Amino acid sequence: MAAVDLPTPRVGPVGAHAPKPMRVVLNWGRRYSLWVFNFGLACCAIEFIAASMGRYDFMRLGVIPLAPGPRQADLMVVSGTVTDKMAPAVRRLYDQMPEPKYVISFGACSNSGGPYWDSYSVTKGVDTIIPVDVYVPGCPPRPEALLQGILKLQEKIAAERIGQSVPKRYAGHRLASAADLTRPLVEQPLLSRATSASGG
Amino acid sequence: MSERKGIVPGLVKGLATTARTLTRHTQVEEYPHHRPELPARTRGVIALLAENCTSCMLCARECPDWCIYIDAHKETVPATTPGGRDRQRNVLDRFAIDYSLCMYCGICVEVCPFDALFWSPQFEYAELDIRDLLHEKDRLESWVESVPVPPAPDPGAAEVPEVASQRAPARGPRVVGGGAARPARPARPAPSAPPPGDGEG
Repeated sequence: MAAVDLPTPRVGPVGAHAPKPMRVVLNWGRRYSLWVFNFGLACCAIEFIAASMGRYDFMRLGVIPLAPGPRQADLMVVSGTVTDKMAPAVRRLYDQMPEPKYVISFGACSNSGGPYWDSYSVTKGVDTIIPVDVYVPGCPPRPEALLQGILKLQEKIAAERIGQSVPKRYAGHRLASAADLTRPLVEQPLLSRATSASGG
Repeated sequence: MSERKGIVPGLVKGLATTARTLTRHTQVEEYPHHRPELPARTRGVIALLAENCTSCMLCARECPDWCIYIDAHKETVPATTPGGRDRQRNVLDRFAIDYSLCMYCGICVEVCPFDALFWSPQFEYAELDIRDLLHEKDRLESWVESVPVPPAPDPGAAEVPEVASQRAPARGPRVVGGGAARPARPARPAPSAPPPGDGEG
């Protein structure tokens, strides 16, 4: 599946030379209205939910946990163990998010596989399939650790330039698609299959 | 009519709830402005006291995630007295913990025989790049400042064995070949009369 073609407003090279006040205002709007989409896959999701509820209440920081789906979200928090079976779905939902989009990897499992780094079925970090902006360490991290990760992301957004291209990092770059993860195994060519059948 | 009746009581009820909670103290942890008060045993980050580390590798071997990296080399310490023997000791070159892998089980802290690793309640080390989550020796040593004083044991708790052994009377010098007679055992109290009914079936 190719990336969803959304009408993203682009200003091209002009954006790189936008005056500073304009950049500040744009980034200010972005950093304090992060509609968040929780990709909860394991126990870390509980800590995410704790951070979203009344006691920690990350709406104070402008993170709004009311996005109806990935198409209305700006921020995806991947909290929990990403398995290879789930990886295409993570990629697909990430593709559906409109630009500018940000990802927080929450907890050891989504950072690098965590305790399952040697497993046959666990993706070794969600950054192998999608680009991650902030890594929050912990197993699971405290809700305050997520708040600190959000603050870190907001600092990063504040320093952004408008026309800035996002550098490709690791395997999970923005131009990849869900098809990169769902592609089946390469089939044996018909000719060699026939000869091996007759030979055997 | 019935609709209007439904609006007014609802409004009053809602405003009454608002007025009630207006005077009550808020329950929100205002995190960036107000740091949480964490107990001393909180598993936030592992601090390294490098002076205590003998590079015995026990922590690295016990780590279920294999997230501790230790490099060390041996150094020869020349003999201090004439005719003495040169000694060898380990020198720690690298001690790193990969916090993107660590599962915060604390086995390394428990297993360390020289008290070189400590839990610190610090949790604010989210990173923009995953490679920065690999804390090298200097960064692990910087966490030592945030290690809290361990809390005193509960009243009535069993005495800590280390403290009890320090309070025990010092042993006298051991004498080869018998030496002084052992101090006499305290005489066993004379057996009192068996309680009635004991040993009679």
